[in-house]
Amino acid sequence: MRGPQDLGGLPAGLVDPELHEHIPTHWEKRIDAMMTLLFDPKRRLARVDESRRMQEALGEDYHKYPYYERWLLAISWLMLEKGVYTQTELDEKKKEVRKRIEEERSGS
Amino acid sequence: MNENTHDHTHATHTHDGKPIQNDDRPPIEAETLETAVRELLIDKGVISAEEIHREIEMKDGKGPELGAKIVARAWVDEEFKTRLLTDGDSAVLDFGIDMRPTELCVVENTDEVHNMVVCTLCSCYPRAILGIPPAWYKRRDYRARAVREPRSILSEFGTVIPEHKQVRVHDSNADLRYLVLPQRPAGTENLNEEELAELVSRDSMIGVSDIPS
Repeated sequence: MRGPQDLGGLPAGLVDPELHEHIPTHWEKRIDAMMTLLFDPKRRLARVDESRRMQEALGEDYHKYPYYERWLLAISWLMLEKGVYTQTELDEKKKEVRKRIEEERSGS
Repeated sequence: MNENTHDHTHATHTHDGKPIQNDDRPPIEAETLETAVRELLIDKGVISAEEIHREIEMKDGKGPELGAKIVARAWVDEEFKTRLLTDGDSAVLDFGIDMRPTELCVVENTDEVHNMVVCTLCSCYPRAILGIPPAWYKRRDYRARAVREPRSILSEFGTVIPEHKQVRVHDSNADLRYLVLPQRPAGTENLNEEELAELVSRDSMIGVSDIPS
């Protein structure tokens, strides 16, 4: 059976080389950098195929997420799986960060 | 997110060589998760903020210019070209590029064959040579159609390959990365290596365009 990532040969839309060009945002670059660092020989915390396994496990949701959000989900789940942090730690951190970003975005 | 925003430029660097900053922010859920994961990794001593900063700087400095230099060298140096086509990994070491843990396969465009590269399963790309892949390379449209209707895709890039020429599509994977060696345009006999490198575009090394004569 085809996984959600297995797109080769399926019908799809036109490619617009101008419209589909994009300068990576700083946020995307941070995710890209994190992934590279976690893969590097110093850490070896993950490999490309592990990251893909996580992304492909999204099933049909795979297509709902933009590219770097999929990478981010893969990193966050892999680090949980490898015991780098716990779900509770991640949930608490997210709560604290969310509050900070909301304040920042509302300009206070 | 910004994958779909209009951005009518191929430039990633300003004229003085600094990367163009794109500070657009993602939806708050995505920014929250990224920040939380990053801060946890820093708190746990897995990575440091300094390492992230340096990694971003290093990636900003890596772009298709490096690939263009390799192509120009192959055009002027037959021995290098042979090595590049037979053992890509060892040839690009001359430029300080370490492809490990992946393998590099360079495919040559000729009068009979036009090559183009895709990654149908994700977005594998010779990042060490060309930098971060363009957004269209990672999109469903390109990934899905490149293997079935390459000539249609090429025409969307304004590239028309004559019927008598064979089009070969190379599907990259996690372990194997492809780079196209475009044909040296006619009328460039008097250009030196450096001048030749300036003619080589990123898209010609992915194989979605030719270099105009």
